[in-house]
Formats: sequence, structure tokens, C-alpha cells
Amino acid sequence: MKKFFIFISVVIMIFLCSSAFGAANKPKIMIYTSMYEDIIESMTETLSEKFPDYDIKFFYGGTGTLQAKIAAERDSGKLGCDMLMVADPSYALELKADGLLHAYISSEAKNILSDLEFDPEGYWYPVRNLNMILAYNPEKFNKNDLPKSFKGFAYNSSVKNFISMPNPLTAGTALVAISALKNKYGYEYFNKLAENNVMVESGSVALTKLETGECKIIMILEESILKKREEEDSSLEVIYPEDGVICVPSPIMTINDKWSAHGNSKICEKLTDWFLSEEGQKYIVKGWMHSVRKNPPAIPYDSINTENIVKNSMPVDWQKCLNERSELRKNFDEIVKN
Amino acid sequence: MRKFFNLKFILIFLIVSFLIIFNVFPMSYLIFRSFFDSNNFSFSFDAFKRIYNYSLNWNALTNTLITAFFSMVFGLIIAFPLAWLIGRTNLYFKKFFRTLFVMTYMVPPYVGAMAWLRLLNPKVGTLNLFLAKIFNLSENPFNIYSLSGLIWVLTTFYYPYAFITISRAMEKMDPSFEEASRISGASPLKTLLNITLPIMLPSIVAAGLLVFISAASCYGIPSIIGAPGHIDTVTTRIIDYVYVGSAEGLTDATTLAVSLMIIANLVLYFSNFVCAKKNYITVSGKSVRPNIIDLGKWRIFFTVLVFIFALIVIVIPFASVIMTSFTKNLGKPLTASNFTWRYWNILFTRKGILETAVNSLISASVAATAGVIISCVMAWLLTRTNNKFKSVPDFLITLGSGTPSIVIALGLIMTMSGKFGINIYNTLFIMIVAYIIKYLLMGMRTITSAMNQIHFSLEEASLISGAGWFQSFKNITLPLIAPSVVAGWFLIFMPSFYELTMSTLLYSTDTKTIGYELFTYQTYHSQQTASAIATGILLLVIIINWILNKLTKGEFSI
Repeated sequence: MKKFFIFISVVIMIFLCSSAFGAANKPKIMIYTSMYEDIIESMTETLSEKFPDYDIKFFYGGTGTLQAKIAAERDSGKLGCDMLMVADPSYALELKADGLLHAYISSEAKNILSDLEFDPEGYWYPVRNLNMILAYNPEKFNKNDLPKSFKGFAYNSSVKNFISMPNPLTAGTALVAISALKNKYGYEYFNKLAENNVMVESGSVALTKLETGECKIIMILEESILKKREEEDSSLEVIYPEDGVICVPSPIMTINDKWSAHGNSKICEKLTDWFLSEEGQKYIVKGWMHSVRKNPPAIPYDSINTENIVKNSMPVDWQKCLNERSELRKNFDEIVKN
Repeated sequence: MRKFFNLKFILIFLIVSFLIIFNVFPMSYLIFRSFFDSNNFSFSFDAFKRIYNYSLNWNALTNTLITAFFSMVFGLIIAFPLAWLIGRTNLYFKKFFRTLFVMTYMVPPYVGAMAWLRLLNPKVGTLNLFLAKIFNLSENPFNIYSLSGLIWVLTTFYYPYAFITISRAMEKMDPSFEEASRISGASPLKTLLNITLPIMLPSIVAAGLLVFISAASCYGIPSIIGAPGHIDTVTTRIIDYVYVGSAEGLTDATTLAVSLMIIANLVLYFSNFVCAKKNYITVSGKSVRPNIIDLGKWRIFFTVLVFIFALIVIVIPFASVIMTSFTKNLGKPLTASNFTWRYWNILFTRKGILETAVNSLISASVAATAGVIISCVMAWLLTRTNNKFKSVPDFLITLGSGTPSIVIALGLIMTMSGKFGINIYNTLFIMIVAYIIKYLLMGMRTITSAMNQIHFSLEEASLISGAGWFQSFKNITLPLIAPSVVAGWFLIFMPSFYELTMSTLLYSTDTKTIGYELFTYQTYHSQQTASAIATGILLLVIIINWILNKLTKGEFSI
């Protein structure tokens, strides 16, 4: 018995020591991001080759989760991160207005697709294009029987009880989506979603439901479907909605030295350049997201032309999305989730 | 003798101050914040009015009460007969069943939610389709996305709490009452109902309370099962409010948390009241060997019954999780072409998963070790001393475990991030503290009951022979209670290891836990990887159990 306790305490000591000495003394960069962990994993490897002198770490969380975390950290006067790559562009507007961001004019800015906005003072740039789309499973249902627009998704009662969408409380892209849809169809869209009994849940749960046939059609990010198609030979298919894909040019921002965790904004500038460069964008595309560059280096596996998607996308008013954020979330909560 | 007195006092003082700083103070702060406006410190019910003007929150509250109440009732209905059959009768395969049922305590409850979701969803649930086919039903018999579905999953994953508590009490019960009843001509069933059940009542109440609080403060299960059916509970609402991210959201979360805390404390008070009034649990001075009841011709029948129960509640859902971890396309059956090692490969190569596992291993080990030390001290104070203050830490520990975990986490965040001089937010310490407060009771009860069974005469003999107090403890008491100490260690370690509700709020960049990682994989990345992680945890538990069993030569097993 005594041996057992000695064994346990030795194990604990080893872990404590290894975690204490594990980190070398390189300048640290912490990036909060809502990118998939798979993509983060491959990116971390490349970054440690590209920037061997820095210790670059990612922390994954849904945009809403990260916002809640940052709100709590702001109370203490310092954030836990140096850079942010969260989904929702309107959040960049908020952080800029609150004076948390670092301005930097990137030499890559001129190469950004002309349809995409970025901050003229250099407080934030779009770094990856996320597309909110619809998806279905051709093995279980016929495409002709399904709605092909966001409008049909909520208004068409033939899919009642068989639809699912992400939660705007935790996912930034979902918030953008309901903001765009509300601008186009008014709050009636929320009522229709509620009438159609939409299930509000996160990506992987919805994907499983699409695979098993529990859902006929779901609102989801394009990347999750493409990822499944490439990695698992899945037959799930994207429907690019007729009323426009909801494009979310997800920003990259640097926290200024006053607020950032490690005060390494100069290194963050280099990272910004790399992420916007042709090479950095290749990793974005490899991660099934669309590039933000003119003449994109490639398009994601099985996807369609980036510029076409952006041109025909549903318009989003970012400032409005920010101003109405609480109201949108609250109304969604009351109308759809109740 | 004087020195001895001081030692007791210091120990009590240390434990009490730990609990006051990290439990009583945060809870009081939450209450304060929900009643007093943070600007002008005026007392008002405004926050409560605002919260409960909103029907969603009312529904969440009633849902929580309904699900927790029925999980408690069904949990007890399952746990008591099981504990009796396994502890007091000559059921076949008793030891195997015992390990199997306690094992459920050792896996994350939301893993069960994942499994039942796949088995019983109303449209294409595997088990649903199977049953509909067999019985030729026109529609699927079960809908997991309902209140009863939620109760089902909560019950199947929280009854082990009751099972462990009741089993333990049953083991230390004095069998002479039962013997007297049997000798006077009562049948075994009559003895069970008239003697065993009433004597066990306080433990049953305590077990029920544990299930009630655990079910009411659970986040994983309602967030997975409840979301599709629009069933919210207080816990999911609190987390939603925290995610809204605004100051108002935080106040609303606090206010909801306080209502949950008030309910939990009322239940705690009620159960203590019942226990105190009827505290006639009789523990004999010497080690008890409970008499084993011969089931006679019912022996096979009951074994089959328990086997079927285990099949439904444990084997089927776990098999479903294990199979999911190998399935490429979840819409198709698991055939050779649909089989993959991919997700297991991810489990062992993904840095994020390994890091979180290490974090959880550290925080759970530290919490369990500290918890066991406190438990040993408390067991000694409670059973071997007459200090009149010893009930104070006992009460505080019970209060801590009776507080819903979401409330503990919220209280710790708001008070331990530097505002009041202590800043342990963003460190593993805040997790460790939360785990200790929440799970200490299980460890303390186990070790105290073991200590109760060792008659003081053994220690006296040692003291008379000239050994010092410490030496007697080391040479006599410790070896005798050692199996319980290890058991207590695990009862704290396992739930801390995969804890989700508190970790969801307390984690930070460097302190993400495996429980939260598993939950993120389940909901965001890939259910198959999540299933692989869950199966991995299950395997780990089985291996540790096996090693311990070998190491202690069969003296200890989970």
C-alpha cells in the first residue's frame, strides 16, 4: 500500500516537473481561434518551422466561448492572448472601438479580394472566408425534394422536424447568419424557424444526424462538409443556397501591447503577413476554408470558385450585426429556442 | 494531553478556514450579488423578477426539479434492491456485478448521453428501429429528446452514486436485528421491508440527496439530450447566460445559480432533518460480517434479472460508444469497409488531447490526494475524538458537496480572480479547489465508515504497549483502513478526472481538461473521436482497477 502511494506521488511529481520545464524560454504568442483543431495541429507544425524562434500556441474555442472568456479577462486588465482569429468580423469592430487592438498596415493588404472589407487603419484583416451553407445526405434523401434556399429551409414545412442549425450564442458564424437572415426576411424568419422546429446544436452533432438520416437538411459551415468528404469519403453534399451563401470573412487581429498576454506585437505583425501571404493562405485552403486573396492560390477540396461565392453572397452589415448582437441573441433565444 | 488538544484545534481550524475561503465566501458573494445592485448596494428582487418574467427560465427551473426528482426516485428504486442483492444475498457473480455497477461511476456521464442519443433518437435510433421491427410497431417506441428521456439517462448514470452510498451502509449494518427478525419467524422479504429498510433510511435519504444534487447540477447530459427537444435546465441556462458575455448576462447567471443553490440547500436541510430525527443506524463496535441471505429458488431468477439490467444500462450503451469509435460513416452499419482506426490514431497523436489528459491527471490526483488527507483527518476527528467543534467542518463539507457544481464554479470565478486578494483563476489550483469542495464528501464518508468499523481497542493495545499516537496510527489504523483510503482516493479522483460542468467555466488556455476536450470533440469536431476518448478513459479505469486488485492481492477493487 505504501508503495502505491509512493508510486502515485512520484507520478504526480514527474507530471508537475515536466509541465513546468516543458516550455522553453522563447518569446510566446498565444492565439485564440475558432478554427478546427485538426487545422490548428497542422498549422502549429508549419509555424514552428517558419518561426523557430517563437513559441506559438493556439487555443481553440467557439467564438461565443472565447468572447465570454475575453470579457472575463478584461476585468483583470490583461487578456490571455496576443492574437485573435475568431469567426465573427463584427467582434473586430467592437474590440477596435474599445481600444484593444494593435494597428498595422500589412504589405499583403493590397492582395485582398476587392469585395472583402478590411480595416483601412490596419486594426484587422480578413484571413479566411467561411461560408454558411445548407447540406444534405444524397444517400438518404433526394435533392429535388429539399429546399434549396435559406428561405425554404425555414419556410418549407416539408422539412419540419428534420432541420438543424448552429447556436448563435456560442458560434460567431451562426450569429452572422441570423443577422443576415433577419435583415433579409425580418424577425419573421425566426418565427418560421421555430415553426419548423429547428434543432439548435453544434456542428458534429448535426453532421451525425445528417449521416444517420435524423435530419434532412442542415445549416452548417461549408468547411465541415468538405472536410468529411475529403477525409472520410463521405457522400454528404453542399447546397449553395439560391438566396446567397452567407460569407463570413473571418478576421485576424493583434491585441495591443497594453492588453496582450506577452506584449510581442512586432512578432504578431510578422504572423499577420504570413497568414495573409500566398503560403499562409494555402493552409487556410487546405483546412477547407476559402482564401481571401485575389487570384486565390487554390479552392478548397470539392468546392466552387471563391470569387463567385463572395460576389453572390447575402449582404451582411457588420456594424449592424455588432449593434444588434445582444438583441439578436435574446430574440433567437426567446423565439427559436423556447 | 494539552498538546493533543491543540493539534485537534489546529486541524479543525485549517479545514474550516479552507472551506470558508473557497466555499462559504464565494457562495455568500453570489447571494449578495443577486440581491444587491452592484452600483448603489440597495436590496432588491429586481434580478429575480427579470429572470422569472421570462418563461424559458421558469420552464428550465421546473424541468430541473422534475428531472432531478424523478432521477432520484428511480435511482433509489434501482440502487436499493441492487445493493441488497449484491451485498446481502447469495446472488451469482456478485463481485463481477459490483465492479460493473461501480464502473458506471467511473465514466463521464455525458458519454452515456452520447450513446443513448444514438440508440433512442425518435427517427433513426438503432434500438428504436430494432424494437419497432421486432414488435412490428408502426412508429418508433421511444423519444430520447423528451423529459422522460432526460430522466432515463440521468438515472442510468447517477444511480451508482446511490448504489455506492447504500452498499457501504449495508455493509456496516448490525445484522443481529435481521437475525432476530428471522428467528422470530419473519420471511426474508418481511425482514427486508420491516427491519433492513427502516434501519437503512438515513443512508437512503443521503443517497437520494446525492443523486438529486448531481442530476440537478449536471450540464453534459441536458445539453446533449435536451437541446434538440428544446428542453432547457437551470444549468444549461446558466452557461448560456455566461456565454452571452455581457454584465447583465453574468448577473442573470448568478441569480439563476442562487435559485438553484437555495433549492439544493432546502433539500439538504430537509434530508439532514430526517436523518437527525431518525438517526438509529446501528454500527456495532467490532468488525461486522453481515449475514448472507439464501435466495433459494429465486437465486437464478434474480441473477438473470440483474444481468438483464446490466445489459440494458451498461453493456448496450458502452458497446454503442465503442463501435462508434471505429465507424467511418455513422449512417451505415459497421462493416469492414466502414471500419477505421483513424479516430484511435487521433487519440494517441493529437497533442491537444494528450495535454488535456495530463492536466486532468494532475488536477484530479492532487484533488484526490488532498481530499483523502482531509478525509483521514476528519475521520479521525469524527470517530476518535469528542471535540465539540468537529461537527463544524463536517457540516461545511456536506454543504460543499450539496452545492450544485455550476454554482461552485461561478462563485469561484467571481471571487478568485484577484478582486479579493486571491487570484487563482487561469491556474490548475482553481480546478483543484473546486474538485475538492465538490467531491470531498464521497471520500470522507468512505474513510469515516471504515474507521467506524475498527474498534478503538486495537489502537489502545498499541498505545498501552508503548507506541506513540502517530506510530499506532501508522502501524494499526492505517493498514486496516488502507483499502478504504484507496477507494476514497478513487471516488474523488474519477469524477474530478472527467469533470465537465465546473471545468467548462474554469478552464483556461493552459488548463483545459480532458472532460471539456471530450465534450468539445463530441459537439464540435467529431463524435467518433469523442467516442474513442471515452473508450480510452473506460479502458484506463479497467486497467487501474486490475492493477490495484493485483497489487493489493484482491483486497481492493473498484
